[in-house]
Amino acid sequence: MDYIDPHIHMVSRTTDDYETLAKMGCVAMSEPAFWAGFDRGSVESFRDYFRQLTDFEPKRAAQYGIQHFTWLCINAKEAENVTLSREVIAMIPEFLSKPNVLGIGEIGLNKNTRNESIIFLEHVDLAMRFDQQILIHTPHLEDKYQGTRMILDMLLSDSRVNPSRVLVDHVEEHTIRHVLDRGFWAGMTLYPITKCTPQRACDMIEMYGPERLMANSAGDWGPSKPTAIPDLIMEMRRRGHSPDLIRKVVYENPIAFFSQSKTFAGSYRNPNS
Amino acid sequence: MSRSAIQVLQAEFHTARAKILELASFLDRLERAEGTVEKERQLDLIRQGIAALSEEGTDRAEKVQLLMSRDYDPNWRSNLNVDTRS
Repeated sequence: MDYIDPHIHMVSRTTDDYETLAKMGCVAMSEPAFWAGFDRGSVESFRDYFRQLTDFEPKRAAQYGIQHFTWLCINAKEAENVTLSREVIAMIPEFLSKPNVLGIGEIGLNKNTRNESIIFLEHVDLAMRFDQQILIHTPHLEDKYQGTRMILDMLLSDSRVNPSRVLVDHVEEHTIRHVLDRGFWAGMTLYPITKCTPQRACDMIEMYGPERLMANSAGDWGPSKPTAIPDLIMEMRRRGHSPDLIRKVVYENPIAFFSQSKTFAGSYRNPNS
Repeated sequence: MSRSAIQVLQAEFHTARAKILELASFLDRLERAEGTVEKERQLDLIRQGIAALSEEGTDRAEKVQLLMSRDYDPNWRSNLNVDTRS
């Protein structure tokens, strides 16, 4: 089955992973900017990273027939450095017209601090000024509930934000309802230990329905599985769900959400047409 | 398409059994290990989580998640001194 991974960090993966993903049905992906595992020292580090995301990775993906899209930001873990964060935010518009850029992301919170909140709001303002979609990172483990609620508070307090153009990722059982009830899109991240398993993701699809709901692998440099979406597809098949329902979650919903970006609408090629 | 309760039980019994055994073994390891963690918050959370599994309903996973989460503070803006747009 063709599928789209809406959140996968391919800079952390080998070229062999691209080949494997293509063989398993991945036809497109979007890669949000994230933490490198260490705090970067200057805005030039981010400029090079954004060149990698907008130039190198699309070419690597294209070798295997996969379309690569991306989102740009400085992540919440580095937001404690407010000066650097503001330099990066000021530089991002240089890349917003690149042909694979879908918007601003993954912005969010990590430890739910004042500086993280300030930089989050400044990213949202950037997105609104440049008419960009937003992809949100929500905190992990014990900080997720409070952080998700804070993020929703901030988004809803800005009258310029259209919830249907915002994807809130890493939802779990205690946050998904808050996200969907307020009109946002929700992403379930399939991760081996933290976040969500394919089985629990399937439970949430059954409980909340498939509207505005997606699944992703994250596929980063930590313990993660880039082929996690095929695992979800297999779990849904095992439970007897229809191909139409599965396709809606793993293919049609990402297209519906991404199509609100002029970049995606103008460049996505349906592999079956 | 939804599965019947007996279908779910038969399909997932061995998986659930294995996970209970993992949890039991983890608690045994804690008991065998030198020292005590009786007063540790994490152990209390584990015990509360296990107790939540015996409750009825279809929201055990959500209850366990909330149990393991910091509470939402509706006054976070003023506490952090963060202004948001209106």
